[in-house]
Amino acid sequence: MTYTVALAQINPLCGDIAANVAMHRMCIEQALDAHADLIVFPELSLTGYALRDQTLTVMRRPGAAEFAPLVESSRNIAICAGFVEEGEDGIPYNSAFFADGGALVHVHRKIYPPTHGMFEELRFFGRGRSLSVFETRFGCMGIVICRDLFHMLEVSTMAALGVQLLLAPSAMPARGFQGDELSIERTVQLAVGSATSLLGMYVAYVNRVGFDDGLGFYGGSMLSDPELGVTASGPRFEAAQVLGTIDTVHIARHAYQFPIHREEDLTIVRHALNERRTQ
Amino acid sequence: MTSVVPVLNDSMVAGYLERFITEELHSSGFTEASIAVSGGLDSAVVLKLACDALGTAHVHPVFLPYKASSEESRRDAGAIVSACGLAWTELDITAMADAYVALEPGIDRLRTGNLLARLRMAVIFDQSKKEHSLVIGTSNKSELLVGYSTWYGDMACAMMPIGDLYKTQVRSLAAFMGVPQQIIEKPPSADLWTGQTDEAEIGVTYDTLDQVLFLLVDQRLSPEEVAQQGFEAGVVRAVERKIVSSQFKRVLPPIAKTSQRTVATDFLYPRDWCT
Repeated sequence: MTYTVALAQINPLCGDIAANVAMHRMCIEQALDAHADLIVFPELSLTGYALRDQTLTVMRRPGAAEFAPLVESSRNIAICAGFVEEGEDGIPYNSAFFADGGALVHVHRKIYPPTHGMFEELRFFGRGRSLSVFETRFGCMGIVICRDLFHMLEVSTMAALGVQLLLAPSAMPARGFQGDELSIERTVQLAVGSATSLLGMYVAYVNRVGFDDGLGFYGGSMLSDPELGVTASGPRFEAAQVLGTIDTVHIARHAYQFPIHREEDLTIVRHALNERRTQ
Repeated sequence: MTSVVPVLNDSMVAGYLERFITEELHSSGFTEASIAVSGGLDSAVVLKLACDALGTAHVHPVFLPYKASSEESRRDAGAIVSACGLAWTELDITAMADAYVALEPGIDRLRTGNLLARLRMAVIFDQSKKEHSLVIGTSNKSELLVGYSTWYGDMACAMMPIGDLYKTQVRSLAAFMGVPQQIIEKPPSADLWTGQTDEAEIGVTYDTLDQVLFLLVDQRLSPEEVAQQGFEAGVVRAVERKIVSSQFKRVLPPIAKTSQRTVATDFLYPRDWCT
């Protein structure tokens, strides 16, 4: 199966859901014109990132009326978008929903909201507690939100659980301006490259652009293919919509040529963790 | 010795800072920028960045000399303003400064310097109101870290595009952006009195200062570890003292908490607050 994914590298407005929904609808129209099957938006694409105390006013249930036009649009194109989720426990989560066929299919809560240095997410968000691995018409899919991507143990586990396409919405601030690329770009490329080259997954990494106060987000979205490496990439710092093609044959062939997934034995990991626990 | 301060990709930095200026200005509902030009390196770089970002029609340079300001400052401020294709507004602050100085016969150089910086702040903010613009600050990371700036004087502004660049990095960016050579090469000076230079006042060259700051701040090394890298221990300690003693300039004044929600403590919103 081949299908087209659109990487929507947008600049959301901080705290303005209505404006961001309108921006999403425009991107969806553009992706439909290009015959895309799936569109992926960045982390917190419907709210902006540096919300701080606006978190309380923008948190919504996944089924909120404001998101209904997007869910409706998913009859024509599958959609992954980021929002502040009001959990059933009343806690705000940094989440992304996946909608397809006119219905919400899955919601991922960011597992590792960074809280150090410039980041203060746990001051405002709760932590997700589950890996997101779910079946779709495209195959087995997973979602990691920004920092989650750097937790290789979780990404490896998702691969072992059969994820073929990893959606990685992100709000990654630019830093490290030495050389031809940002130092943070090299870190992201390393994480995405490991997931594709070693674990055999496609990765759709979608990073936002623009500034929330002094934090500037660098874009550089990419689709990484287990056989071909990066096959589509967004520009640095500019809003853009980038199209890439996913061919599931590449996943199967990579798995045959380099059978990491076949070799993987989670019982060894489980045993090690149990041993550690009993010590 | 090769500097430990990273050499930046000036082309990428310039483009990024131009986007920052544009977006921060526009998200605040403004299209115009006012910049106090002194004839020095920092204001020259910020003026050039603002012109490249916004177009010359939207940038308003203001030159604010005092009677002790050097002719060189006037010449160099003129050079960068004309290099950008702009005309400036000149407002001499001598009369307003001296009106106060006359009331304080014992005023020393430091107090006078602070007074001039705060008068310039008052004037540039009034000019920005006149032009419906925001004031773009020109502080760099070196001076912010050691507190070599006047609180509510030259530090007062709506944004600081080069506030995370060390002075030596600003010099490199200036060369990339085509700032006139005489501005890049002259000894940095606040020009608050005749013959004043930053390096004499801070007590160390920017080349050394930036390296010590980079190791202490960016690399989080201890003063002892920095000294072990070949920097004079006394200089390292003096720099560390300057960082600590100027912390009050880099934060809002403490607010005595009496309610459930207190500004800056638990009333937390971004500057780019959308309602």
